[in-house]
Amino acid sequence: MTQAAVVVDDVSKKFRLYKEKNDSLKTALMRGRRSVHEDFWALNDVSFEVPEGSTFGLVGRNGSGKSTLLKCLAKILYPNSGSITSRGKVASLLEVGSGFHPELSGRENVYLNGSILGMSRKDVAKKFDEIVDFSGVRKFIDQPVKNYSSGMYVRLGFSVAINVDPDVLVVDEILAVGDAAFQAKCKEKFVEFRKAGKTVILVTHSMGNIRDMCDHAAWLDNGSLVQVGDAQSVIKAYTADIDKGDR
Amino acid sequence: MTYLSELFASRELFYNLTMRDVKGKYRRTVLGQLWSLINPLATMLVYTLVFSFIFRARPSVGDPSGLDIYALWLMTGLLPWMFFTRVVTGAMTSVIGSAGLIKKVYFPRMHLPFSVAGSVGYTWAIEMAVLTIALTVFGGMPLIWVPVALFFMLMLTFFALGLGMLLAIGNVYFRDLQHFTTIALQMWMYLTPIIYPLSLVENQAATHGQWILDVYRLNPMERFVSVFRELLYDNRWPDLSDSLVCIAWTVVMFTLGFLVFKRSEKRLAELL
Repeated sequence: MTQAAVVVDDVSKKFRLYKEKNDSLKTALMRGRRSVHEDFWALNDVSFEVPEGSTFGLVGRNGSGKSTLLKCLAKILYPNSGSITSRGKVASLLEVGSGFHPELSGRENVYLNGSILGMSRKDVAKKFDEIVDFSGVRKFIDQPVKNYSSGMYVRLGFSVAINVDPDVLVVDEILAVGDAAFQAKCKEKFVEFRKAGKTVILVTHSMGNIRDMCDHAAWLDNGSLVQVGDAQSVIKAYTADIDKGDR
Repeated sequence: MTYLSELFASRELFYNLTMRDVKGKYRRTVLGQLWSLINPLATMLVYTLVFSFIFRARPSVGDPSGLDIYALWLMTGLLPWMFFTRVVTGAMTSVIGSAGLIKKVYFPRMHLPFSVAGSVGYTWAIEMAVLTIALTVFGGMPLIWVPVALFFMLMLTFFALGLGMLLAIGNVYFRDLQHFTTIALQMWMYLTPIIYPLSLVENQAATHGQWILDVYRLNPMERFVSVFRELLYDNRWPDLSDSLVCIAWTVVMFTLGFLVFKRSEKRLAELL
């Protein structure tokens, strides 16, 4: 428990906000090499540790840098300074079903999506039944996914992603997938995850979810870390701040 | 080295992305994979009609194969060229085309252009196999040259990939590039001896000055086309200097494309 699964060390991430962007040759030639931009620091010297086996929530208002941090954790974005070190395999659930090919069948897409998420063919084959059962679309598994309802589509995508079996799972606001029954199944899966000693890092705006699931949390505001620690106290401070702001 | 080993470790992704394109392309068509053969056949018919029948372009007689059939001579140059353009344009747009994926999932991005080469190469291999059979049927002996031809097919693949990866990164910054490239490739084709023999250019050079030929032969695709013609149509060892130039271009272009892509890869999610 004392070991850190993920160490976020002094991470800063800068975005360029272009007022006028040179994205065509014409504008580049007319204006020369310089394009007008302003630096925006989405993350400012954020440091914390995520203990191994914990479920770690990230809270904060819209635009506070939660998703940026999550994308850095998922290796989609790279911080301008600082470092993120994680122990074991990291998988991210930022969007489900991305990479599905509409003309291919559900079965083919499970294999394709699995390998995009870093599973080997053997892994997918081994877990295939589990994935399909979890998604509840067995009847349609050999149909092209373009004929799926949007619910079936995301459920299948989610089932693949949740079965990647990583050491650290990074989740963004996708607990709102599917109907109530499916959501309950997802929550169960997260509990299973925790029991297996895996680490989950998640972003959600639902305080209820955080309270139910997380044991640790971090609160971000304007790209800076406000508070990190035990979930209950962080949530208390955060909700108090929100109430204050509302008044 | 870790970059390469990660790329290698995720080779199943390359395979799956390739098969996604191969299988997805002709889904729900009656003729399926046959379309990939109909396409070059139609081009062959049109070019043969226009350039052999109307313009009276004569191919050089295959030495030592003795072949003298414009359509076959054309295809030994045209198939590599068509492969080349499809890889370059496909690889160039592969990054932008998968923007959604790049922004949401981490995976070695280089598999995107690689898988384009994989799926286009799959079709090309079938085309070349059919061409080899046709050449044999009409009296050539291309079979013993197949291993050498395979080597140069691999070279051309990496050459096209290098250029495609370079353009893919450029295209992220300047979307004009893909439109420009379409035009450039069209002009490039007519500057390569695909539908007319090199001897016509040599004739012009003899009367107007040697520099024409020297400039003309700077085009690496001219070398590749010559090599494929010598191997499959003439059935002899390709010219040594042509072969070396092909290999040199491949090494330089692929290394350049690889390094540029690798350097920009991490920033792609932001730039798209």
